[in-house]
Order: sequence, then structure tokens, then C-alpha cells
Amino acid sequence: MTDSKYFTTTKKGEIFELKAELNSDKKEKKKEAVKKVIASMTVGKDVSALFPDVVNCMQTDNLELKKLVYLYLMNYAKSQPDMAIMAVNTFVKDCEDPNPLIRALAVRTMGCIRVDKITEYLCEPLRKCLKDEDPYVRKTAAVCVAKLHDINAQLVEDQGFLDTLKDLISDSNPMVVANAVAALSEIAESHPNSNLLDLNPQTINKLLTALNECTEWGQIFILDCLANYMPCDDRESQSICERVTPRLSHANSAVVLSAVKVLMKFMEMLPKDLDYYGTLLKKLAPPLVTLLSAEAELQYVALRNINLIVQKRPEILKHEMKVFFVKYNDPIYVKLEKLDIMIRLASQANIAQVLAELKEYATEVDVDFVRKAVRAIGRCAIKVEQSAERCVSTLLDLIQTKVNYVVQEAIVVIKDIFRKYPNKYESVIATLCENLDSLDEPEARAAMIWIVGEYAERIDNADELLESFLEGFHDESAQVQLQLLTAIVKLFLKKPTETQELVQQVLSLATQDSDNPDLRDRGYIYWRLLSTDPVAAKEVVLAEKPLISEETDLIEPTLLEELICHIGTLASVYHKPPSAFVEGSRGVQHKRLPARAVITLVKRTGLSGSNMGAGLGVAPAAMPASLGGAPAVGGGLGDLFDLGGGVGMPTGSYVAPKTVWLLAIKAKGLEISGTFARRGGIIQMDLSLTNKAMSVMTDFAVQFNRNSFGLAPAGPMQVLTPLSPNQTIDVSLPLSMSGPVMKMEPLNNLQVAVKNNIDVFYFSCQYPLSLLFVEDGRFYRQVFLATWKDIPNDSEAQFQIKDIHLNSDVASNKLQGSNIFTIAKRTVEGQDMLYQSIKLTNGIWVLAEMRIQTGNPNYTCTVPRIVYASLLHSQ
Amino acid sequence: MISQIFILSSKGDHLIYKDYHIIMKHFRGEASKDSINVFYEMVTALSGDQTPVVMVHLCSHKDLHFIHVRQGGLYWVASTKTNPSPFTIIEFLNRLAALTKDYCGSLSEKSVRMNFALIYELLDEMVDFGYIQTTSTDILKNFIQTEAVSSKPFSLFDLSNVGLFGAETQQSKVAPSVAASRPIMSSRGEQSGKNEIFVDVIERLSVVIGSKGVLMKSDIQGEIRIKCFLPTSSEMRIGLNEELSIGKSQQKGYSSAVRVDECRFHQAVKLDEFDTFRILKVCPSQGEQTVMQYQLCDELPCAPPFQLFPSVQKDYYIVTSQLLFFTFSCSTALNVSITVPVPKGSVSMSQELSSPDQTAELQPKNKALLWEIPRFPGGAQLSALFKVDVPGLSSASLLEVGPVSMSFELAKQTCSGLQIRFLRLAPTQTGLSQRWVRYVTHSDSYTIRI
Repeated sequence: MTDSKYFTTTKKGEIFELKAELNSDKKEKKKEAVKKVIASMTVGKDVSALFPDVVNCMQTDNLELKKLVYLYLMNYAKSQPDMAIMAVNTFVKDCEDPNPLIRALAVRTMGCIRVDKITEYLCEPLRKCLKDEDPYVRKTAAVCVAKLHDINAQLVEDQGFLDTLKDLISDSNPMVVANAVAALSEIAESHPNSNLLDLNPQTINKLLTALNECTEWGQIFILDCLANYMPCDDRESQSICERVTPRLSHANSAVVLSAVKVLMKFMEMLPKDLDYYGTLLKKLAPPLVTLLSAEAELQYVALRNINLIVQKRPEILKHEMKVFFVKYNDPIYVKLEKLDIMIRLASQANIAQVLAELKEYATEVDVDFVRKAVRAIGRCAIKVEQSAERCVSTLLDLIQTKVNYVVQEAIVVIKDIFRKYPNKYESVIATLCENLDSLDEPEARAAMIWIVGEYAERIDNADELLESFLEGFHDESAQVQLQLLTAIVKLFLKKPTETQELVQQVLSLATQDSDNPDLRDRGYIYWRLLSTDPVAAKEVVLAEKPLISEETDLIEPTLLEELICHIGTLASVYHKPPSAFVEGSRGVQHKRLPARAVITLVKRTGLSGSNMGAGLGVAPAAMPASLGGAPAVGGGLGDLFDLGGGVGMPTGSYVAPKTVWLLAIKAKGLEISGTFARRGGIIQMDLSLTNKAMSVMTDFAVQFNRNSFGLAPAGPMQVLTPLSPNQTIDVSLPLSMSGPVMKMEPLNNLQVAVKNNIDVFYFSCQYPLSLLFVEDGRFYRQVFLATWKDIPNDSEAQFQIKDIHLNSDVASNKLQGSNIFTIAKRTVEGQDMLYQSIKLTNGIWVLAEMRIQTGNPNYTCTVPRIVYASLLHSQ
Repeated sequence: MISQIFILSSKGDHLIYKDYHIIMKHFRGEASKDSINVFYEMVTALSGDQTPVVMVHLCSHKDLHFIHVRQGGLYWVASTKTNPSPFTIIEFLNRLAALTKDYCGSLSEKSVRMNFALIYELLDEMVDFGYIQTTSTDILKNFIQTEAVSSKPFSLFDLSNVGLFGAETQQSKVAPSVAASRPIMSSRGEQSGKNEIFVDVIERLSVVIGSKGVLMKSDIQGEIRIKCFLPTSSEMRIGLNEELSIGKSQQKGYSSAVRVDECRFHQAVKLDEFDTFRILKVCPSQGEQTVMQYQLCDELPCAPPFQLFPSVQKDYYIVTSQLLFFTFSCSTALNVSITVPVPKGSVSMSQELSSPDQTAELQPKNKALLWEIPRFPGGAQLSALFKVDVPGLSSASLLEVGPVSMSFELAKQTCSGLQIRFLRLAPTQTGLSQRWVRYVTHSDSYTIRI
């Protein structure tokens, strides 16, 4: 007997019959009946009426029957809550069954029954099962916590299940660990600020150990969880990378992609000159290439991800151009993605190969693909200058085919090539003009008209050409109409004598007969310009155009960063942040790549007795962040050295150049840029306020939020005159240290509110820590060494500053300008050791040791080392 | 995380439907089933240009994302509301289909219908609350209670297998393809299932040959697949070519070493003897699994299997003559088909073919002519002459005679040269077990430019 008979159409008395069979004495018959019920359920029939009868079958020692009954229960318990209660006793009993399969089955099913009354009964059995001796039961129970949390979050918290779940991360069975991690990750997502998944080096280590042992699916949970961790220094991130790398050769592509995500993220922390960084780059390429040998569906997903990776780190795949060449039997969506990546990877080294391929593609059958291929040839020309000539001749060849859409597409891209390389390829215009008649798409027509107008002086019959377009002016699309208007005005300015009539005609067409406001307005503007001041008109219409950029379709950097954090997920396929398509609060937190830092924090712990000291442990981390990357942030010792500035002369404290803090578009036209400076012991905030709006701004005022060092404005902001449109004013705001204190993250973060007559605007900026170094920061020389030795090892931090070509004396001089005082100097084995002290505005002393390697001129001061030790000075 | 899993027949009937409750919260009862119908409408409305991977269904501001694969004529669909990895889900759906095939013997609407209780049971063990738990038959067999019901369709293949006409046919030397399609868990009582193990080496070949006969690009994607029917799992040793080298080696010299660029292994494969002896140690779980995947880009150890010498001339019509040469002498190519693009507006064609079993036809809709050779003996050479009548012929029309593409199948042959040296089962294995090793090379994309 086969199961298919259950699906045969049912007659009226079916439910009745089933009822009878369910209550039969024979086990076999019962089993068959339950199967029939489930079959009806699957095809969408309502068999909820049989609930009590099915529940009656539950008490059986036949596992197969029990599983079937549980399956039914899961589906209908919600609609029959009162009946479901009848089942509770059996559930509770089954949770104590000697057979672990039954215990797990009961726990799993109970969690799936979303009836509030049942959840109360669930707590005790679940608590037992979480500590069960059998790992199969424990791993099922771990998931059950997530289920219960979904039904009643408060209950889970009150019952302390979350803590038990956290304990399971240290379980001996990798499957249990994986499920615990998955459950915790999901629960943590709905509580963004909770500290549920408290990832620290110890737990990370446990996860990495479990990673090697658990199933492929468990590996995915663990890798995804690892990706949310922020390693505290580059050594840790290197060691995590080393342990994750073997996953790249896993047969399951989901594991590979999750590993790639972790590596891409942690690579940010690694210094680029590290050997390991290069090794890692090399290791990333083969797995990505292998993904392209999968089925078309997976290939598509892989290509969307590779597109992101190539934008972030083109060096990974720069030698793998060939794998992106399309195969004739690729589906069109794979072909288009491959083309996109080919262009991104195109460089001088491989351009010949790429062009040869693109030319082949341009003769294929699929219209969309051919169009994109032609466009790609144009993009190559713009991207790789050396290839421009070859691209243009390839495009001309293609125009010769006279295939309508190829010609049109070619003309559109040739227009862009003209804009990128003006006055270079105009010789081809004649060929283009031959194809005027075949152009029927607005974009191509507009491009052609632009070319004719732009080079009117070189085309003898430009007026005739444009006139021919003018005949059907009203039938053209707006794009073509606008272009035609501009082109004819250009023509008129270049050849005023012959084209007076033509320009009259187009202006009247545009202004009188058109109902398109853009067209009319543009027509009027031209008319006024031409009638009042032809010279000005020439300046405006024939103005020099800015060059077009090389790369198009680039994803905006912040979005790209976020998407890199979501490699392998739906977000990376859509190229949209998860918040754009995932409902509610889940996943709204924007993920960011870690900041690149050149530091090696060796030991880092708080200082006893002072909460500010605890913060200082992190402070050095914030400072050199600016050394490696953007100089605008913070401003640490690297800035103090001021590489670009006058060498050697201490000219007072270093002042970073102004950076934009508040964008005009975010503040109704008010743009604020600024920096911080310490001048003669007074801290100042230098601001430039620019009015980019159309109206006058007045009534400026400023306020700070509470911050780590109590910075506050010492007086009101002095903006005396109203700020008229397009005017910029520079203001210096003296700051005091008497404001309320609150520890910020990062430590030197400052949140500012600026008010004017329009609105209040908020922005945050980071001040360099050196701002807080006071002038009397010279420590007593006699007690320096003793104090140095007394500092416990665990409050030390160590980091490197790179690429500084100064000798120790100059460096010491320079630092003194910023109130970092050299107390002693000693030379050991060619290394200069500088012992330095700093005092902060709030009375905290920082002692430092800087090692400068002399000898090699290139590396004179490349690796100075500072060991910061902070201690509270009691005077 | 996965919210729902369903299996639909090609007509859109619901065969299996599993809701991991997240949807139910919002839709409840009947409405949740509607999502299946929504999916079916969407998938049937798909044109070939759209990506089948991910589809979004907007439903009262709550997006539902469908991810599906098609296998065995069925839709295997998962839906989700969060931001999971599509790789995970596609891999899982493929694995689910493979497991269904392993457990039910074959993959069809009928076998899924007959075994729905078994599949529900499998799904319950494989996915809990949308989290994938396991897909390994080794683990699953501890939990699964339901027995498979297998269908035994009458098949001529079975007869030919017996050697109906007394003669040993070509096929009977190779394991018949149906032999491998039966459930892995044949009823416990009767020991009807033979102790068999199949090891297949399958390669897919992609080649681009430039207009002057230059090999421009070639790559091989290969895999070693095991289908195991042994009742108990014990260690098996698979010996590959001893001279196999992995990675791009510096010195190539004259050695005839077999080389692959990169390989990936199933996580159950033990590699301790791989580095020195090229032996894979694996305890195959029941059912089908890929133990090793490898690839080789460029630098094929042999010449590409087919050489085509096309020539195209323009007269009053386009004349194209093709000369095809099969370079492998000891193998036979099956189902060779050659597609030659022709200019738009081609109306008719006359042909001269070198042997009677070949066929050729013009397909004006696809702007191509198709030349088919059912069986191509090794070392042979075939030629064909086509005259295509194109009204309004211009010099540009010649450009439209684009790259020629070929598809074929080479039995008993690998292009990389990878071979299974031996297949040893642990001596503890009781009873006689039959071991089959099969090689096959498929064309993936074989293009010859004119």
C-alpha cells in the first residue's frame, strides 16, 4: 500500500470515517489514519475537527505514530487552544521519557505550539532539557529557548533561560554550541543594546574550537556570529583569520561565503604591509573563483557578492579576469553580472583581452546583452586611457554592422568618450552622421544631437542635420527636445550668420508650443540671454565642461562598507542594506567595518581608582587611528609630527586642517567645518560657518553635550553680523573644561548642537586628545623611574607610529610644542629611548617611552614605540 | 532564517508544506498558504531574463523573500522574512532534494507524494525553527522511523540490463544508470539491496578556441561523487593518480603529471594520506555525496577534444563549410551538436554532410543552424557544407556568423587525466560488495570563434 492513495479525492463522510479509524484498536490502522489526516492537512483541507481523536493517539510507544501526531498538533494547536491543553500532560511526561529521541521530540513540538497557556507548562521541562545528559536533547532545547522567546520574551528573561543559553556556548558538543549561538544571535537582534552575545577573546576561542568540529550548517551560524565581533587589535584579528581560513576550502558554498565575510571584515584591521595581509589576499581568490563553477543560481548570487568585493578590494581578483568571461550558455542574468565585473577589473594589463571578448559579445543574439557589451566597450575607453583609441575603432567596426541597436548604443557611448577625451576622436563624426536615419531611440538621438551641437563648427551641414530633427519636434521625447534646443543655440553662437532663422524657429517651438515647463523655461532663458548679451550667452552655453568620471555605478562607500558586513546574505544580492527590506526593528543596526589602526595594544586594563583612567586605556587606540587613514579624525601623535609642515621648528601645538562636520544638505544650507587648537593654554574650537542657503542666517548659538573631559563653551559664539547667502565666516570659540562629565565612546567624541534662526542642528566631531595636554606636564625627573617601575604591567599599552622621518631630537622638539615633555633620553643598541610625560587637564599623568631606531635612513623613526602608562597623580 | 519550506509540483500542487511559525504570527491559517500561490504565480510569470534566485513579495509592508531551486520537475522553495544567506538556503534546498532522492529512490512528483510522511519527518529533523540542523544521512538515520515506499516503474532499461539478446552490449559493461536510483534504506527486514558503491568522476569542460585555432581559454570543473548503498558505514580508501599535483607548479618539465589548480573536499574526507599517497579516506554515509571537487584553468594536459576548421564565404548566399576533427582516439563522443549562428533573415539552407547519420537544420527563429552527430568515433573527421540563402545580403552579414558552440558527452574519459587507481573497502565489510567506477566528461561551454 502506498501513501499516494491518501490524496485521492475525498467524499462527504470522510471525516467521519477517519474518526472511526483513529479510534481503532489496531496500531497499524491508527497510523494509516493519522497519515491520511496529515495528507489532507497538506493539501489545505480543514481537519481540525479531528483534533481530540488525534490527540488520543498521542499516548503510544510507537515512535513513528507519535511523530505523526506531533506533526498534526503543531499545525492545529493554535486554532484549538483548549484542546491543546489536553496534550500538555503527555508532553510533560514525554520530556521525562528514558528515550532521548522522545524527550527531544516533546521539547521541539511544545516550542512550536504557540499557545500562551502551554508556554507556562513548558518552562520546567525546558529547564531540565537544557541540562539533559544527551546532546541531542540539549541542542533541541537551545532552539526551543529561541522559540519561547519569540512567543513570550519576558517569560524567557524572567525564567533565566538566557543565562543557561549563554552557558551552553561552552558546551562540549559542537552542535549544541552552534544552536546556542544561533538562538542567542537571533534573540540579540531583537534587543540591539543587550549584552547577550558578550563576545570576548575567551568565548571567541571556544567558538573557533567548535567551528572545527560541528556540521557545515553549525559552522555557518558560528562564522556569522564571529563576523559581529570586533577584535581588539591586529594580532587577535590575524589569529582569528588564520583559524577561519581553512573554511575557504569547504565544499558548502555557504560556509565559504561566511568565511569570506569574516576575513573581509577582519582584514580591515590588518596593516597592509604585513606579509600575512598579502597571503590572505591570495587565499581569497581561489574560493571565489570556484563559486563560479556552481549552478547558474548560485553563480548569480556569487557574482553579486563578488561585485561588492571587487569594489572594496580589486586586488583580490585582478589576475582572475578570465573566469568572468561569459559562456554562451550562461543565463542572461549571469552574463550581465559578469560584464559588470569585467569592467570593474579592466586595467591596462588586461584591456586587450577584455576588448577582444567584448567585441565577440557585441555580435551575440541577446539584445540586452549586446547593448551592455557595447556600453562596456565605451566604459573601458573611459577607464583605461591607453585603450581609448582601440575602443573607438572597435565601436566604429560595430557601427558598420548597421545593426540598429548596436549603432544606437555605440553612439551613446561615443558621446561619453568625446566628453572624456575632448578634441581627440572627432574624426569619426562623419561616420556617425551617416547613421543618423537609423536612430529611433531617444537616448541615441539625444546623444547624436549633442555631438552635432558640440562640434557644429566642424560639421559643414550641421544646420541641415539639426533642421531635419526639428521637423518632428513635437513628436520627440523631452530628452531629445531639450538637447535639440541647446544644440541649435550652440550652433547659432558658433555660426550666427546662417542660422538666425533656425534658432528663432526652435525658440518659438520651445516657448510657445510646448507644455513642458523645463523646455519652456530653458527656451526663455536662452532667448533672454541671446537678446540681452550674446557674449554672456556664449560664456554660459559654450562653457568648458567638467570631465566625466571614470567609474560609474559605484556603490556609495558607506553603503559598500555595510554591504561588505553582510556578504553572503540577501542584502548582498539586492545591494541594499537589510533595513531596507527586513521588517521592524530587526537588523536595523548598521554594521560597520572596523577602523584601520596601526597600533598594537599589548596590555590594556583600567587604572584602579579612576574612572577616567579606565577610559585612558582605550585612548591611545583612538589616537593613532588617524595615523593610518584620514588625518581628520582625532589627531594623535602622527599629526603632532606634522609630516608636511616645516621640519624641526616647534611652532606650538599642532592644529589639524578644518574638516566638514555638518553638511549643508543636512542642515538646511548651513555648512560647518572646523578644528580644535590649543593656543597659549587656551583650548579653542575654530569654526567656519558657510551659508549655502538662499536666505540670511542670524542668531547663532552653540551647545555641547556632556563629554568625557567636560569640554564646554567658555562664552557665547560671536557671530555679530548676519550671514548672507554664500558667505563664510570664521569663528573661534574658547572652551573651558568645566562642563559636566560623561564617558563617551570613543573617548574623544563630542556632540554639538548649533542653533540659528532656521532650526537647531546636531553633529558630532572628535577632538584630538593632544588638546588636553597641559603646559605644566613635566614630571619630576627624580621620581620618574621609580614611578615607571611601580606601574602594573596590565595598565600598559603599546602601539606603533609609522613612516616618520625625524630623528629623536627633532621629534622631541616637535612633541614639546604639543606639551609632551621629554624627561630623559638614553641610547641602547642604536635605539634612542625617550622617556616622556604628559599631563591631562583633569590631572591625570601619562608616562611614555618612545623608541626610535636610527641607522637606516629610510627607517630613521619609522617604528617609535610608546608605552603609555597612566596613573593618578596626587599632588 | 527559513520561515517556510514547501515543495510544489510543476502544476503548482502543494506536495509538502512546512511553516516554521514566523509567518503564521502575521498571516495565520489559510492566509499563510496563500503565499504558496503567490509564489507559484510569480514563478510561472518569470521570463527567462529574470533571476530565479530571489523574489520579493510585498504583502502589507512585510516583504517575503522566496528562494527556490527546481529539481526533478518540482519546485523546492524556502521563504524568509529576515536577511539570511541565499547560499545557505540554496545549498540546503539542493541537499533536501538530494536527500529526498536518497530516501525515496527517485525524485518525482509521484515519489514525493508517496513518501510525504517520510519527508515531513526528514524536514523535522533537518530544520528546527528555521535553523538548519543537519543534512547528513549518518545522523539522520538514527532518527528516521518511517520507511520509504519506492515505486518501480517498468523500464526497458532494466531489460537491457539483463542482456536480453544474449549479446554483451556496450552499456552492460558500464553500471546502468537506473541501478543507482533506489532508496538507500530498503526495508530493514529483507536484504534485497545489493551492497553497491558507485564512484563517478564527472568533468565539465569549458573551452574557447579563437578564430585562428588558438586555444584561448579552457577550464575543467570536476568532481568525484559517491553513491553508497552499503548498509553500514566503514572506511573506504580511494586512490587517485599518484603523480597528481595540486596548485600551479613552477617546474613543469616533461613529466606527464596530472595537475589540478585547486580542490575542495567533503568535510568527512580524511586527508592524512592524501599529501603523500594521494589517497582519500572516507566513511561514506548512505546516499549520494560529492567527496571532492576540483578545477583546472588553462593548461589542459591534452588538446581540446574537438578541432573545428570553419570557413565562411560570401557569394550570392553565405557558404560555410565546417571540418570537424575529434582528437581523442580511444573514446567515443555521444550526442554531439554544433550550433552555427547565421545572419538575420536567413530563409533556407542546403547541406552536404559527410555521413548519413548526421542531421542538420536551419532554425531561423534562433538565427542559427544546428548540426547533430549522434555518435562520433575517436580519431574520426567529419565535414559539412552549408549554403544559407540570405536575402539582402551585405558585407556586415558576415559578421553575424558568430562563434560556433558545441555540446557533447565523452564517456569513459576525463580531460584532466584524473583516474581512480583503486577503491578499497575496509576488510570488516561483510558480504560481497560491488564497486563501480564511472568516468564521464560533459561539455559545459565549448565555443569556437570564426
